[in-house]
Amino acid sequence: MTALELSEIQAYLLSDYKEMGYSKYYLMQVKDAAATKSFLAAIAHGITHAEATITNTCLNIGFTSNGLKQLGYNETNMHSFSREFREGMVTAHRQRLLGNFESSDPSNWQWGGPANDRIDLILMVFGKDEATAESFYSELEQKFESALSVVHTLDGKAMPNNREHFGFRDGISQPVIKGSGLPASGNNNDIEPGEFVLGYKNEYSVYPDTALLKIAQGKPELLEDNPEGRADEQTKVKYKDVGQNGTYFVLMQLQQNVDGFWEFMKKQSAETDEKKRNEEATALAAKMMGRWPGGAPLVKYDKDPGVEVADDNFNYLKEDSLGNKCPFGAHIRRMNPRDVFEESPQKVSLSLTRRHRIMRRVRSYGEDFIGSAENHKPGGEVGLLFGCFNANISKQFEFLQYTWGNSPKFKRLYADPDPLIGVREDPENKLGQIFTIPQATTNRVITGMQSFVKVKGGAYFFFPSITAIKFLATI
Amino acid sequence: MINQHPLITMSAIREDRLDILKTRLETIRINLLNSQMAEAPTEFGKVSTLHYGRWVILSRESFRDEPAVPVGIRLVLTTNYDGIGNNHCDYHLTELVTKLTTYIDDVYECCAGYPEPGERTEESRKNFLKKGIINTSAFYNGAPGRSVGQIHQEDALHQHIWNFLQNNKWSETTPAVEIHRAIRQEIDSRPEFDWSKEKAGVQGIKWPELIAYGLLFIVMLPLIILWVIYLFLFHELWDKKVTLSQSELDDAKINELKKVEDLFPQNQFTQVAVLKPGFARKLNFRIWMLRTRVLASYVFVKGKLLNIPTIHFARWVLIDNNKHVLFYSNFDGNWEQYLGDFIDQSGWGLTAIFCNTVKFPRTNFMGVLGMIPGMPMHFPGTKFVLTGGAYDEEHFLAWSRSTQFPTQVWYCPYRHLSIKNVNNNTMIRNELREDLTEEQAQLFLKRF
Repeated sequence: MTALELSEIQAYLLSDYKEMGYSKYYLMQVKDAAATKSFLAAIAHGITHAEATITNTCLNIGFTSNGLKQLGYNETNMHSFSREFREGMVTAHRQRLLGNFESSDPSNWQWGGPANDRIDLILMVFGKDEATAESFYSELEQKFESALSVVHTLDGKAMPNNREHFGFRDGISQPVIKGSGLPASGNNNDIEPGEFVLGYKNEYSVYPDTALLKIAQGKPELLEDNPEGRADEQTKVKYKDVGQNGTYFVLMQLQQNVDGFWEFMKKQSAETDEKKRNEEATALAAKMMGRWPGGAPLVKYDKDPGVEVADDNFNYLKEDSLGNKCPFGAHIRRMNPRDVFEESPQKVSLSLTRRHRIMRRVRSYGEDFIGSAENHKPGGEVGLLFGCFNANISKQFEFLQYTWGNSPKFKRLYADPDPLIGVREDPENKLGQIFTIPQATTNRVITGMQSFVKVKGGAYFFFPSITAIKFLATI
Repeated sequence: MINQHPLITMSAIREDRLDILKTRLETIRINLLNSQMAEAPTEFGKVSTLHYGRWVILSRESFRDEPAVPVGIRLVLTTNYDGIGNNHCDYHLTELVTKLTTYIDDVYECCAGYPEPGERTEESRKNFLKKGIINTSAFYNGAPGRSVGQIHQEDALHQHIWNFLQNNKWSETTPAVEIHRAIRQEIDSRPEFDWSKEKAGVQGIKWPELIAYGLLFIVMLPLIILWVIYLFLFHELWDKKVTLSQSELDDAKINELKKVEDLFPQNQFTQVAVLKPGFARKLNFRIWMLRTRVLASYVFVKGKLLNIPTIHFARWVLIDNNKHVLFYSNFDGNWEQYLGDFIDQSGWGLTAIFCNTVKFPRTNFMGVLGMIPGMPMHFPGTKFVLTGGAYDEEHFLAWSRSTQFPTQVWYCPYRHLSIKNVNNNTMIRNELREDLTEEQAQLFLKRF
């Protein structure tokens, strides 16, 4: 097994920083390219890498393709970054893939959209609490005042027990990167590094597309040759690899309509007794999620255990091949079909699933509010800062969002988008949007599905290795 | 049971009319899209025998690699159609030129040799199209025997039963067989579903033919092994490594392809590749075409092509004196999923076919080791198993995208149905007429 070069990789890929109670993401614009490069040189050693001892604060940095251009990144070199990264999240085709329409249309976004200020880079500041994060940021600010300006700030926090605002425990099923030194997870979650880090082999045993330096600029000698051995055809000199130990990061701000979510669930119940009605609403929400609020998987728990159960050790083939426990359309079954994908044999399903995983890095914003059938009126706007790392945005994040999330044709279903992330406000479909719950005899069908999540901003970032940050300071 | 057939006809475009043709095709595309978005009837829908159809302009520009022979600018029409009558091709062409007369005239008057306005008759139009017909090398149909009319009927049946199930409250204790009976009564009470009383013919795997094929394969095995070794030593070993990756593809071309993709949950794919020079590679390609043709009619009859469960129709066509190959597909989901399915489900089958085309990612034993069931992707210490070719994921995806070329007009007759929906609807119709056990009835109800 290839060991990862941990001291080169930004730590947020390998740690969810849950001990960091508060985070501030600064979306910034380059004012002065030369000053920005000096800033990069000054902070490169301070970027939290995966071997660093984490104390009270963490610091990570990512760039948009605009940002690299602002620094003077050569156009030809730029072209070897993945198309998704180069084009960014806002193109007509990508809007269709991601389903960002109606009130999630990029033209309505607060940041990252066509009407918003250009974003060049993201500085992610983490602290064990808000005050620590703030004071750490103030220190940094002095170093970049002349170089960068802040376009938008996103405050985030880790909520108790990893709950998100709808009230569900989040992030239970996470990949573990082989060679990262972290304990193996088992249950198909141990994934080849090339699915998450450039410069390593992926689940197909090949190297993911990486950012080759085809035209020398800056100090290429800082960088390693690309591991695949790609070389200039004439000179036979191997290209340096800017991507090595780097990764791509997807960030989306998702506003959650907690009240709408729970009101909808309650409306589906015919019960007049409030307690029973709330129980039915919770059971329905759990069917859509695939887990009970505390995280207990439906495959193993037919009743809400009422406690935190961060259990990921289950499959579907033996336990629930007909979907009577966990519907095929449930969020967690779509995003990770485990050993039952289509009609593929178990082994094929498992390997196919491993090729479409993302490393989720989610923080919540707004009031510290954990919704439930009983209590679902938060004060003010609440939502998720959805983030994920992947080596191939198209095969991983976009595939999950479109093919397994938005597509109403998942498996043999007819008109079932992902109930949490795939529902459109104004669907274009004969059958409307439904959620099918397999039962012993007739399926239960929830019709008129509504969207409870609104995209308010989004962007794709390149997260370079520590060495690549030093290199970028020299271009 | 009505069988489906492929039609492909190729016509030379008059260079002086190329721009006009492009404008006209674009107008047809936009009109079609607008009607479909509004769920209004379309011109193409008038052709009762037509499943999928498309027009593509095939010229030097469509080729990523240097063509093996000089190529002109051609218009290629392909349709997948229901075979009605003894001369089904003629029947289909008659429908095309009579129901789509304006389109056919608008488009083909930009081609060389199309009858002058005064000479245009049903016969002369048909004869023009007939002249350009070429043979399809291998053809796949995801729902054999299902005519367009039947697919729409069975869709209506599914929707009616779905509504019936929704509008009636069933207690949790009602046995599934009882519900099944109630559905049958409901359908029997509706004269518009009279047709469903007759079960639909569904093609099963043709075992005798398959066994004969298997025996032939065993008898031929020594020859096949020699052939593979020969190809390996004298051809494959000399193939150059291919390193083109997706980021390196031409942005303008990719954007042109993406412009018409993912407008609804089905897509098309049109590809042209150049066969490797020399007799051996061409023969090998034809052997694989023969094999695909045989399996497509005997084995891939239940909605899966080489295990890929998302394809409605696909075909391979040799053109230009058998030096170039066209590949067409109509599939569910998007490009990324489709190609991913290809690698995951049958990377070796694809490798075996396309390794005979130039600049395909380098292969190991042409992928044929994948024919051995249960073959792992790689043994420790050796690369000669399921690696290379389609398994060289990044370079394979880049190969696939870069040999794809734009489709000018694409007609999809049932865009709200996945191929799994189509097949499921037929099963609903047939199982409705069967006396089911409680367990079978439960599974029947799961189809909704």
